[in-house]
Amino acid sequence: MKRFVTISIFIMIVIIVGYREKTFAEDIRLSAAVDRNILTINDQLQLTLTIHGTQDTLPPSFPNIDGFTLLYGPKISAETRIVNNNVSVSKGYTYVLQPHANGKFTIGPSTVEYKGKTYSSQPVTVEVTHAKTTTEAQQPDLDKLIFVELSTDKNEAYLYEQVILSFKFYFQKRLPISDIDYVPPATKNFMEEKLGDQRQYEEVRDGIMYNVLELRSALFPIVSGDLAISQATIKCNLILQQRRNRQNTSSDNFFDDSFFDDFFNRGQKIYPVEKTTRSIVLKVKPLPEQGKPKYFRGAVGTFNMEVSTKSQQVKTGDPLTLSMSLYGEGNIQTISEPVLVLNNENDFKLYPAEAVTQITNREETIRGRKVFDKVIEPQKATLKSTPAIVFSFFDPGEGQYKTITKEPIPIVVESGEQEMPIQLTQSPVNMASKQQAQLITQDILPIMANLSSLRNQRDTIFKNPILLACLSIPAITVLASFFITQQKKRLQTDVEYARKRRAHGAAKKKLAFVKSVLSGDSPAEFYNSLSRAMADYLADKCNVSAASATGDSISHLLRHQEVNEDIIAEITHFINDLDYRRFSKDAGTGEEMRHSLDLAEQLIAKLERQLS
Amino acid sequence: MKDRVLFFVFCIISLSLSDNAIASAPSRNEVIKLFTDANEQYLQAAKLIAANDNKAASQKLEEAALQYETMLTQGFKNGQIYYNLANTYYRQGSLGKAVVNYRRAQRLMPRNDEIDANLRLVKNSTEDKELSQGTPKAIQRIFFWFFLLNQNELTIVAISLYVILMILLCLMIILKYPWLKRILIGFSAGLSIAIVSLGIKHYEEHGVNQGVIITEKCQVRYGPGEEYEPKFEIHSGAECIVEGEKDDWYRVYVNIVVKQDTGSKAGVEEKVSNDIRRGWLQKKCVDII
Repeated sequence: MKRFVTISIFIMIVIIVGYREKTFAEDIRLSAAVDRNILTINDQLQLTLTIHGTQDTLPPSFPNIDGFTLLYGPKISAETRIVNNNVSVSKGYTYVLQPHANGKFTIGPSTVEYKGKTYSSQPVTVEVTHAKTTTEAQQPDLDKLIFVELSTDKNEAYLYEQVILSFKFYFQKRLPISDIDYVPPATKNFMEEKLGDQRQYEEVRDGIMYNVLELRSALFPIVSGDLAISQATIKCNLILQQRRNRQNTSSDNFFDDSFFDDFFNRGQKIYPVEKTTRSIVLKVKPLPEQGKPKYFRGAVGTFNMEVSTKSQQVKTGDPLTLSMSLYGEGNIQTISEPVLVLNNENDFKLYPAEAVTQITNREETIRGRKVFDKVIEPQKATLKSTPAIVFSFFDPGEGQYKTITKEPIPIVVESGEQEMPIQLTQSPVNMASKQQAQLITQDILPIMANLSSLRNQRDTIFKNPILLACLSIPAITVLASFFITQQKKRLQTDVEYARKRRAHGAAKKKLAFVKSVLSGDSPAEFYNSLSRAMADYLADKCNVSAASATGDSISHLLRHQEVNEDIIAEITHFINDLDYRRFSKDAGTGEEMRHSLDLAEQLIAKLERQLS
Repeated sequence: MKDRVLFFVFCIISLSLSDNAIASAPSRNEVIKLFTDANEQYLQAAKLIAANDNKAASQKLEEAALQYETMLTQGFKNGQIYYNLANTYYRQGSLGKAVVNYRRAQRLMPRNDEIDANLRLVKNSTEDKELSQGTPKAIQRIFFWFFLLNQNELTIVAISLYVILMILLCLMIILKYPWLKRILIGFSAGLSIAIVSLGIKHYEEHGVNQGVIITEKCQVRYGPGEEYEPKFEIHSGAECIVEGEKDDWYRVYVNIVVKQDTGSKAGVEEKVSNDIRRGWLQKKCVDII
């Protein structure tokens, strides 16, 4: 463990020392940049002195500046960038200056001393103008604020050679820009591959620090001649703050304050800007005929090849997969498979290769890997190796063709076994062979002839509608038994519900008894029975005692149960009529008694409908 | 109300009868006659083969195959018929058709070892070697019901469990025995397993189109047409999975096994690697199981 820690520390020290050495090895320079080179006397100027290549120096000397007063500074910033394993470091010193006179001024060179050497920055010229009034047009110099560039990494290229196209959008620092719309150049006659994400960095141009947005793509010319890359366009909105002339406005106006200007976006002006680059003409040379290899299939770039097999032992006629991996820089997607050089065409049976392409790097240039899996079948047991594999390409950097040859891979080929099909219907010649006699012992088992199990095994169970219908019966039975049980339980536990449910049945029985009394010619008993039947029925329905089911109280209870007023009136009248008949001497005729019975039945039926 | 019930019952019986009418499967007696005749033809052919009378044997085998096929096309499906038909095709030298019919017989008679033995023998005779795609023995033991029962048998098991479960539920509701709860849970689990098994079985047999090459050899091409280059060649008896179809072509994938003998003098060691290849082949070359 201790040893491991020691080794780790050693490796870290080596890395750190190596890193520092690399830093020191970088070129040292000092640059001076301002945020703008034309300003009014009311503006402030930002001057940045940047030491590139090291962060281990004293601050650079403050330059000689006429016409400006130092407001504050320096604000120190350090930056370390690692791009593709290249480390770059810088340290910036930013000063804010206030002009106190109009005119053109030169910010003198600043110097810094590092390891006995003195480095100095370039001088920067700045113009200070009068403060503009509101009446003066405040059209900014857009060309200095924003500009675009389109460029290629080379002016001449070979056919299919990789050319890097770069579009750069420069805009001054702290410039608010919105709604950027990029129209890329037309690249007819090229195959185009986007390179990485957009890059964003800072760059000093004519002493002014710009933010740069860079979009890059790789172009592969597919025809020779002078090929044009049309201009690229960018559209955006530039938002500038219009400065108010305080002298001409009421200083007491509270709402003229800049705070409110910012808050309500007052004083801001949007300038729609459209910038177009120049078009580019690229001279594309055809590939030279001289020295073109026999197996050249149009690949241009710098490539390498690896070859392997899954196995080195194979039987004749069995497949053997050759894996040929091509990797390098160039349009990897369009390269053709390497060529297998066969000594004899009948040695191997070849199948078309299956290719898988992978772009491994698209940051700086297009780099990738294409793997061809090719199946070959050795046809002879005498073969000792796979065919040689050849891949030719044109290297545009060196301007010459190159050929990679991979030597044959040794393999062991054995004779494949002759599969003898077991057929008793073979020709007599074959039947006589010794091998055939051996195979007969492996004959198939005899046929089946069990008639008892010979029944139709078609999938009829699924299709039988009777069965499907019958399947619902058990479920319905379960549901029915559930509801019946629940009902029974409720009838046992809920007295009110039980009385209501049973009221009609009980009333029917009682009315049947009343009907039998009707034939007995005993009006008093008839009316008593009928009255009791009605009272019991109503008491059950309203869940009260039979004694409470009298005229007024029953009408109140029925009204509470939202029974129709007409029915309530009829019932009240009927009960009163029954009471009258019971306690008076007017017993009524047999016809009247039958009418009363019918009326009772009708009223019960009506109430059942209402209360159900 | 009574009329409605009668009408409902009448409809169900009509549907049931119409289903049977469409299928018009031959009667059992007819089938037994055809089956015994075909078996007799086959046995005579076997004797003729033994007597080296291949021509007459071939004729007998053709007649036997025709009779087995007649039963099947008339809608009478039975594992024995498929098995005997496969044997007949094998005797005729049609390995592909033999494999198809053994596979069909396996589906109907999953517990029959004779089918497995014959299929293994036929597969060994085919030109293309395949890696065994069989389920491991341990899995077969654990899920024994799935591997021992065919689809109809699984359906009967599921229905039986369902009916018992419903009866138990009724008893539970009416009698309210608390100990019934545990039995109910057990039967519910059993029913769930049976339904899932049945679903998987149904998917295996009807959802996945497994095919067998029935022509002597068949070129698998890059696309659905003669204009596409051949990719590889497979032979009678090789099995494939049909993924799609276009016009007269199936899109299939095949498990190809590359076997290499690393033969040392002491003995032959075999190295096996599996490779899946896709391609298109003509419908006439394949018979779906």
